[in-house]
Amino acid sequence: MPTWFTYKKDKNMRYKFLITLSLSGLFLCASAQQVKFTEYDLANGLHVILHQDKTAPVVAVSVMYHVGSKDEDPQRTGFAHFFEHLLFEGSENMKRGDFMKIVSSNGGQNNANTSQDRTFYYEVFPSNQLELGLWLESERMLHPKIDDAGVKTQREVVKEEKRMRMDNKPYGKFAENIFSHLFDGHPYSWQPIGSMAHLDAAKLDEFIAFFKKYYAPNNAVLTIAGDLDIENTKILIAKYFNEVPIGVPVIKGTFELKPIAKQIVDTVYDANIQIPAIFAAYRIPGMKSRENKVLEMVSTILSGGGSSRLSTKMVDQKKTALEVAAFNYTLEDYGAYITLALPNNNTPLNGLLTDIDAEVTRLQSDLITESEYTKLQNQFENGYVSANSKMIGVAESLANGYTLHKNTNDLNEQLAQVKSITKEEIRDVARKYLTKDQRVVLYYLPKK
Amino acid sequence: MKKIFIFAVSVLFTQAAMAQKLDRSQKPKPGPAPAITFADPVIYDLSNGITVLVVENHKLPKVSASYSIDAGPITEGSKAGVIGLLGGMLNEGTVTKTKAQFDEAVDQMGAEVALTSGGGQVSALTRYFSSAFLLMADALRNPAFPEGSFDKLKSQSLTNLKSTERSTTAISGRVVNALSFGLKHPFGEFETAQSIQTITLEDIKVAYKKYVTPSRGYLTFVGDIKPEAAKALALKAFGDWRGSVLTFPVLDKVSNPAKTEVDVVDVPNAVQSELTVTNLIELPMSSPDYHAVLLANQILGGGADAKLFRNLREKHGFTYGAYSRTGSGRGQSTFSATASVRNEKVDSAVVEFLKEITIMRNERVSPEILQNAKNLYNGSFALGLENPARSAGFASNILINKLPKDFYRTYLQKLNAVTAADILRVSKKYFNHDNSRVVIVGQANQFLPGLKKTGFTIKEYDSYATPIVSK
Repeated sequence: MPTWFTYKKDKNMRYKFLITLSLSGLFLCASAQQVKFTEYDLANGLHVILHQDKTAPVVAVSVMYHVGSKDEDPQRTGFAHFFEHLLFEGSENMKRGDFMKIVSSNGGQNNANTSQDRTFYYEVFPSNQLELGLWLESERMLHPKIDDAGVKTQREVVKEEKRMRMDNKPYGKFAENIFSHLFDGHPYSWQPIGSMAHLDAAKLDEFIAFFKKYYAPNNAVLTIAGDLDIENTKILIAKYFNEVPIGVPVIKGTFELKPIAKQIVDTVYDANIQIPAIFAAYRIPGMKSRENKVLEMVSTILSGGGSSRLSTKMVDQKKTALEVAAFNYTLEDYGAYITLALPNNNTPLNGLLTDIDAEVTRLQSDLITESEYTKLQNQFENGYVSANSKMIGVAESLANGYTLHKNTNDLNEQLAQVKSITKEEIRDVARKYLTKDQRVVLYYLPKK
Repeated sequence: MKKIFIFAVSVLFTQAAMAQKLDRSQKPKPGPAPAITFADPVIYDLSNGITVLVVENHKLPKVSASYSIDAGPITEGSKAGVIGLLGGMLNEGTVTKTKAQFDEAVDQMGAEVALTSGGGQVSALTRYFSSAFLLMADALRNPAFPEGSFDKLKSQSLTNLKSTERSTTAISGRVVNALSFGLKHPFGEFETAQSIQTITLEDIKVAYKKYVTPSRGYLTFVGDIKPEAAKALALKAFGDWRGSVLTFPVLDKVSNPAKTEVDVVDVPNAVQSELTVTNLIELPMSSPDYHAVLLANQILGGGADAKLFRNLREKHGFTYGAYSRTGSGRGQSTFSATASVRNEKVDSAVVEFLKEITIMRNERVSPEILQNAKNLYNGSFALGLENPARSAGFASNILINKLPKDFYRTYLQKLNAVTAADILRVSKKYFNHDNSRVVIVGQANQFLPGLKKTGFTIKEYDSYATPIVSK
């Protein structure tokens, strides 16, 4: 059951803290303990990462391809995710529909997701089924079967997914309306789910060409974590993946954006809501930069936990907000730093924005206190320790490190990086990026 | 020496394997099944009624604990919402710490502490765990219940209610339960602006005295902690706690409709309709049908390889996902099958749902399908062991549901003994067809004309489950 994947804000306030943390946790997970791994390349360019952990009889087999909605033709938005659905349709040795049956009838679980930057496929099996996982992923990489019947069905399924996740969902349209302004001129300006018209237009031969271009072993990383024997696993990997032919080197498009010179203000109407919301979003550097990490810390100061600055002021003291949040929507080339609030007691949206802005200004002028600094360190450490409790999570973190950070060991270095960031740096990065003339303000209002 | 030898042999083996072209048409066979082992938690009984369960696991430098009060379903009546507000109020400070001081203390340690009316949860790095745990206990035992916080939470509840007024999923959740169980049943009742308005701070205090208590309490520790240390901490925090004595409530039985009916709620802004096919069931975990029902549900709608998903998504493209679930436990629960479907395909989707249920009720499943479902459950059981809290869940389930001590040790054995005849029998018994309820929440003008042709009794309701008397 493939899913389209994005960082979502839940409006349920009880989960606010958890969600904000997992936003930062997803690409940053590391634990106080080092996660050990072995990595190497096959002759066809497939990168392999292995992590052994025999705590439970479980093995996670995953492949991350460095392709996402960023690589789409602007006339075919939603294509990368649509294609992800098609890779469940079978292979030369698997009838249509057999993929999921083989996984579940062998006691496993599987899924996939597509973001702007990468596409991730995985199976989690009892550890005696490791070889089956390798067979499944190598069948998919070597010779998947994609036909018109699959395209026709999955087109409807993907459109239902869009209706469920965006069109029928309260507040489901905030990201597309912010990103279209914030990243105008970059493929991040559209969402991975794409548009209905483009989904309708996508054709079989285009999918086959997309596979040839992006699904080569030299554009992928195979990451396996769990109850495995390293040497034996290497042999099995060779058995199933050596014969996959190397592809033409993938050349990624580069998109330089001009700075935003003047605040952009827009309004969107949503028929699914009664309570309005206000968003202010800033364009920030991508996930590899140290400044992006500094902004993760800014989010935690502003809205991580009940004692954070925005929550204390707006939810508890002034009682003007039902929910207030600041989070870092981290992507490879750039990021979006988003602040938002939902009013309580019919508070006007501009009043909420003024209160959020005042806290941002305070961060830009005054250093955070020593106590806040200690708090931050502890919050990040707790987040890291919790992040790697499952094998599929470890596999994804390692794959993200290799694919997006260009450093497989990234997860082991995150905590040290957080510890090295100073109070002055936090102030200076807030000054540099969170300025009004380079942001998008979005009024999110009930329709009719 | 031995290790090197094994390596050499396996290298030879690969070369042999390489020499021959791999026959990809043959799926690899599984290796020997891994041993499934789980240790029982250490259990202590405190004299005030709290059962303490400890799962020791030192993999990560972290401990979590939860306190869970087995009060059973609580009927709120005209004060619907009082229990939710009580939970909120437990997070609003204690007699010695304002909310701001409490939150600051928790966040300072990077810990997580959350309270609900049914108990609390805490998780923290090992070095901070004791302090964080004592904060959770303080919040449960000594809440301050400040008037200002009460007004805040009440206004937030009203705003929250309003924020979901047009949400089809929120409306469907409310209406399905209200129609299935009736408005007087704790599972059927729901909060409204009116019910929230009538709640006073005094109501909160009364509910607190009645329901937040050591009676029927389960305190579970999981992680980097020794059982003796956990017990000492439990005694320190809760040993002298006294409170009201709870009894599990006995509820009046409710019934299914005499004849299958379609209940419709019109939401003009809906892009998709929420479709639910449901009936009441009674399935204690100790029932001899229990394992067979799990498998029957798995076959019908348990996942991506089940009949509903294959039909409604993979064959027809009506939905992103179609699933079914069966409740179990003490008292009545429901079987339900659900999907979010685009409005114009609702009538066709209803037909397909009922068709798959009919097949389950009338046709024996093939040996292959049954075996696949068993394999999935066996695998899930192994995968579940990744979560160290799992064995604590097993133990508390056994206690709460009065199950035999070996319930989970014989779980797979019983599951693997289920036959196709069992599946047919329980499908007939638990998945209704002629006395079922179909609830559709969506843009009614898109599907009502089609539905009317099916011949079912159609009833229309508003988004709070009030019947709409003829148009």
